[in-house]
Amino acid sequence: MSADDTSGVIEYPTEEISLSINGEEVSAEVEPRHKLSDFLRDARGLRGVRVGCEHGVCGACTVLMDGRAVKSCLTYAVQADGTEIETVEGLADDGALHPIQESFHEEHALQCGFCTSGFVMATKELLDENPDPDDDDIETGLADNVCRCTGYQNIYDAVHRAADRLETGETDADETHAGEDDA
Amino acid sequence: MSSRPDAETGPESDPDAETGDEARFAGRGLNRVEDRRILTGEAEYVHDEAPDDALHMALVRSMHAHADIESIDTEAAENHPGCHLVLTAEDVKADYNPMPTGLHGFEEWSLADGKARYVGEPVAAVVADDRYVAEDVVDLVSVEYETREAVVDPREARENEVVVHEDVGTNVGDHEELSFGDPEEAFEEADNVIESSYSWGRISGVPLETAGVVADYDRDADAFDIDCNIQLHTLVDDTVYETLGYDPDDVNLEVPPDVGGSFGTKIALHRYCSLAAMASKAVDRPVAFVEDRIENLQGGDMHSTQREYDVKLAVDDDGTFRGLDFWFVDDFGAWPRYPVNQVLKPLSVLTNAYDVQDARYEYDLVLTNKTCQTAYRGFGVPAHLYALEMVVDEAAAELEMDPDELRRRNLVESDQMPYELPSKNVYDSGDFPAALAHVQEKIEDERDGGLLDPETVAEKREEGKYRGARPTVHIEPGVSGSDWTNRQRSDRDELDERDREDVAELPEHLRAEIREDGTVRAYLATDSSGQGHQTLVTQLLADELGVLPSDVDVSYLDSVEAPTEYGTAASRMAVMLSGAAQGLGETLAANLETLAAEVWDCDEADVTYRDGGVHRVDADGSLSLAELADADDDGDLTRASYDYEHPATRLEEFDEALARKFPVYPTAAFAANAPIVEVDANTGEVEILKLYSLRDCGTQLNPTIVEGQAHGGLAQGVGAALQEEFGYDDSGQPQAITLFDYRLPSIENVPEMELDHTETPSPFTATGAKGTGEGGMIDGPASIACSINAALEPLGVKADRIPFTPNRVRERIREREGE
Repeated sequence: MSADDTSGVIEYPTEEISLSINGEEVSAEVEPRHKLSDFLRDARGLRGVRVGCEHGVCGACTVLMDGRAVKSCLTYAVQADGTEIETVEGLADDGALHPIQESFHEEHALQCGFCTSGFVMATKELLDENPDPDDDDIETGLADNVCRCTGYQNIYDAVHRAADRLETGETDADETHAGEDDA
Repeated sequence: MSSRPDAETGPESDPDAETGDEARFAGRGLNRVEDRRILTGEAEYVHDEAPDDALHMALVRSMHAHADIESIDTEAAENHPGCHLVLTAEDVKADYNPMPTGLHGFEEWSLADGKARYVGEPVAAVVADDRYVAEDVVDLVSVEYETREAVVDPREARENEVVVHEDVGTNVGDHEELSFGDPEEAFEEADNVIESSYSWGRISGVPLETAGVVADYDRDADAFDIDCNIQLHTLVDDTVYETLGYDPDDVNLEVPPDVGGSFGTKIALHRYCSLAAMASKAVDRPVAFVEDRIENLQGGDMHSTQREYDVKLAVDDDGTFRGLDFWFVDDFGAWPRYPVNQVLKPLSVLTNAYDVQDARYEYDLVLTNKTCQTAYRGFGVPAHLYALEMVVDEAAAELEMDPDELRRRNLVESDQMPYELPSKNVYDSGDFPAALAHVQEKIEDERDGGLLDPETVAEKREEGKYRGARPTVHIEPGVSGSDWTNRQRSDRDELDERDREDVAELPEHLRAEIREDGTVRAYLATDSSGQGHQTLVTQLLADELGVLPSDVDVSYLDSVEAPTEYGTAASRMAVMLSGAAQGLGETLAANLETLAAEVWDCDEADVTYRDGGVHRVDADGSLSLAELADADDDGDLTRASYDYEHPATRLEEFDEALARKFPVYPTAAFAANAPIVEVDANTGEVEILKLYSLRDCGTQLNPTIVEGQAHGGLAQGVGAALQEEFGYDDSGQPQAITLFDYRLPSIENVPEMELDHTETPSPFTATGAKGTGEGGMIDGPASIACSINAALEPLGVKADRIPFTPNRVRERIREREGE
């Protein structure tokens, strides 16, 4: 039953990485086997990065690496050396929700929320590349993410709304329904 | 994908259109208060909760479905420098108790004791510096097995050639035959008896968040703090404290405000809680465990209903249903999992929406070498409705009747409400024929130049693509009672003599306090996993107290603080929480009137609570909530709690069902569905082109959430009908242990849905709500299967095995071609 408490004795090899996370320059020692998702969550405290399957199907861990959506559970932290990482924590601007976040809220495109950061980041990549996606574009853009609670209809609506908001430059504060949202 | 067709219920709509009452927040599509923290990454799920000094647990799991454990060598593991602990059954048995099980006569330990009974069953637990190291250590635990033949097929399991539990002696853990009315006579006298067999594959909820626990043993207090994403934490906490052998007050089980989905499946996480707690006590540090996805899918005790049905329908030549007969085998897996008992819930909707008074219901609950079965959205009802609707389809074919006409002729009419089922449950209200007519009309419209236009259908058929749609109506039984759920652990002979007074149901508890700044803080006794309970309580309390939703915030009670209650299950929360919020609001308002009368030294009759404060009736003057909080020196009157009683407890209609421990569900939400499907006979692929649904959950407290529950439930229904299944090979090896194999519906699989809603308030509940949490998963699969039958009628193929995957469709088509 018992084992000697030898905590700290073991030494695993590490490598130094330097990267930008949500605009902040970061250097860290990481084990080569550590996943980017674990590094972001455990070493950087970015718990908006969710881990749902660790084999690349669910997409809950999606972050942007140099602007492209990657599954951080299938990426080693050492592979992120020299890149720019964006997570959901970097979206809200001084407390005001990003138009994508606001649109997911308004369209009730989340329930338990475990998949939500992944969907939001995948949506960001989609809209960065294609500001006016049609339903087929959305289907293709979000096919790597799974939502188990909400279904997908409200997510389509949220992406369309976000595209409209980004086009018109409408922000959280401009939103006429904001009072109701503050419930 | 069109824009949302139900704009009238969305957040953009005039929020007051439905209630006509500008002051009220209930009934409005209020956006959720939970969203902001989730959208910004600030939500805290249990996976985030390990403190810095926590160690991490990982489990050694059996790779065999059925094997004697000859020896476990832990030496190499214990010598690993990052290892702090290795636990085996021997250690557990020395200090703790077996885990409670769902049937008498089974002794299940937190780690496999002497024999492994399914692939993935935990055999040893290790604790190490972090999860990476813990997995290294797992690999160093050496277990010697002597493999045995496994029993996998549930029908075969009944023959006991291979027995999962030798000490029990049989794989049939429970059996019951129930007869209601006079089914024997009905089947003798009816013009026709239709009989067929159907399978419902092993599926489950598969929430995106896996199980997680952080346990912390306090040596000074000799007590445990356990954070876990377990569902029903105030109800099933006995599975943890009994296993640990501690008093309930010394095992504080807490669920974080954010849980990444459950759908019933997380009710059975007690093993993880107990093991992490034992480990924490042994190492004197907090111990965290996060189940990985492969563990979750293969051995996470999270699978759900798997059934083999033989169903009979007695029907006269004119289409009148005379009697129903259900026989089925339910495959529970290796252990009867406490507190799951889903073979009985279908009795609450025994005849679905049909008026039939004679029925027989018989089941064998069998044990096999598969992972254990837990609850899943609908709790055994989806499979039942599927089997029933399939036999109705067969009857229509055999009688050469229009299936729509056959169904219509047998529906319970609105003037029969409240309607007592032969199995003694009662449907509260509803107009089933009108619901059916509504979706029939949608389908008729599609025949006129739409997806089902005869010309289009004929053209598609030339390409080997078969289209069809078949409207159906389904009941979603809501608001479970608790007493019936231990029927299988009760002496059946005693049930006939049982008094109504012997029955105690569990209420829903809610408490709140007025704070000094005049805001209201409420405390939920239940856990939630995305249903928006905080929003619901916020809007209802705001209404009751005449304040803004932003003046109310809602937090949670742990298992020690909260009284034992049933909690979030069986669509209970809309009804139970709304009833509790209403009662609590009234209690608080009355308290505050008492307080104000004390302040003013006047008669209570001279004050009245309204618009967020107490006002004098006989003179000028008012006290705001902040002023009242300030005036309440001992805090007695600005704090209150309320227990909303289960509706059936005060309704005579349910007396017989309660006394005999038949499932009691006092609300009948319902839906009429018409999925339009297209089956490609060449590939076997089924595509749902569009799904029409008319839904009624009584009063809609928050139409946005109601709509969201319907979308999510139907998406799960699509998965269950077409693509999800935990398959096993003949040796008991699970075939779906990643999300590549267990195929959750993606954005590419879920069709466009056009949902309409009606409101038939329940006469049995405080707010008229019926609950809506299980719909979609309850009614989706049966309705999709019926539409597949409609589409494949020309080929003579039936959807007799759920999920109707492409290979099964092709198999059925080939069988017919070979005939």
